Amino acid sequence: MGDALQELREHYGPPLQFLVLVIAVWEFGAWALAIPSWLLPPPHRIVLRFLEARNLGYHTLVTLFEALAGFALSAVIGPMVAAGIANIRFLERGVFPYIVLANAVPIVAVAPLLTVWLGYGIAPKVAVAMIITFFPIVTNAARGFASADYRILRLMQSLNASRLVIFRKIQMPTALPYIFAGLKISLSLSLIGAVVGEFYGGGDKGLGYLITATAAQFDTPLLFVAVGILAVSGVGFFQIATFFERRLISWASAEVAAQR
Amino acid sequence: MSKEGIVLRDVSLTYRRRGREPLDALRGIDLEIGDGELFAIVGPTGCGKSSLLLLVSGILEPTAGEIVIRGGSVAEARTRTDFGFIFQDAVLLPWRTALENVRLPLEVTGASAARREAHCRELLAFVHLESFADAMPHELSGGMKQRVAIVRALAHNPSIVLMDEPFAALDEITKRRLHLDFLEVWEREQKTALLITHDLYEAIFLADRVAVMTPAPGRIKAVVPVDLPRPRTLDMRDSDRFVRQARAVRELLEG
Repeated sequence: MGDALQELREHYGPPLQFLVLVIAVWEFGAWALAIPSWLLPPPHRIVLRFLEARNLGYHTLVTLFEALAGFALSAVIGPMVAAGIANIRFLERGVFPYIVLANAVPIVAVAPLLTVWLGYGIAPKVAVAMIITFFPIVTNAARGFASADYRILRLMQSLNASRLVIFRKIQMPTALPYIFAGLKISLSLSLIGAVVGEFYGGGDKGLGYLITATAAQFDTPLLFVAVGILAVSGVGFFQIATFFERRLISWASAEVAAQR
Repeated sequence: MSKEGIVLRDVSLTYRRRGREPLDALRGIDLEIGDGELFAIVGPTGCGKSSLLLLVSGILEPTAGEIVIRGGSVAEARTRTDFGFIFQDAVLLPWRTALENVRLPLEVTGASAARREAHCRELLAFVHLESFADAMPHELSGGMKQRVAIVRALAHNPSIVLMDEPFAALDEITKRRLHLDFLEVWEREQKTALLITHDLYEAIFLADRVAVMTPAPGRIKAVVPVDLPRPRTLDMRDSDRFVRQARAVRELLEG
């Protein structure tokens, strides 16, 4: 019990101490230099604004939903496309270059077009989140599918294993850690996608909308609240992804640890 | 050794390379490897001895010549799943236990579940790993992994085992132990075994006959029958007979 407490203190102690220090300097500095609240609100004003804000939960849920919906679409479609790219030469040579090209287009350039096509609702935001999360999943998964050891593939071929059996027994498990690496990157990106979609897609919902609206109204404390919620959500997403990764492919981390 | 296991008649292999001269990897290889024989091929690196394995297993086609496996074609042998492979590294699947790795060939060839389980445990016991059946590869030492790989090659009961420097990545002590383990398994199973190695002492200690290859293009310089009784024991490696034969093979390799 005492050990667990000690461990908690060692783990969270330094970042907490630093946070307290930053807040203290910030609070004191804002007061001493008489910085106006619309320019840089002191921490206590942000907290008060957080407590009195209405619809905050609603805006947060909208953004989280858009992000997760876009991510989920990529997480389902991405590995399938990657499996095709890794196994079908035409897709690798003919289609993959265009995926790379599409990824090179800045997402903010596409967002207005998506609004034209999909309207002012949730759909274009989900689409932006999907587009931004698609590429890391596809590239990582494709690399994973292609990274099966050629000798084990040779062995399977000598046993007359069908391509489906080779895929199921060798390629798919080999690709899993790569797919997870892609999913982890994409989960964080999905929030950016949703917010960018809200910035450029019109509409009146979500944390991205809240940020543009509060900035226009110089309601800077609420802007800080929205940014804070995004930061916490991003960290939360990452933690959830890491948790599932550890549970589902424990052999991969064990393998890496054994190689060290 | 009356029946023939693997026969190569005047086999040549030329790699065609884009924009460069074609590379003669093997030229005019004639070999007759008996059924149940343990046949070793030694040669310097780059002499094409690994290409020879690719030819025998049908992964590459010879540019000229003919390969006969147990009286039929290479394609027929592939259909019968006649081949087991042992590579320089174990190449185990890291998400499978030792037992599940040994079981892999049986899952593909479609043996019954009950037979698989019992058979694979028995195979692991051959190489003294019965208590590690449920261990993951990262929990095994290099030598243990290679022993799992050896019995994986035998799981689907192939008649021919093709080995590409299977002991080269091991330290000397582990290597010697594995030689004995391998011989024990081989004597029990009576497979035709083709061993590719650059270690002439290993070749002599394990094999019935040793073929010496020349540098590229690879040709068979001589086939030397090994004059050592079976079962082989480690102290034979210090015997005059062994030393004499090793010198003869080394002179062939160097000369």
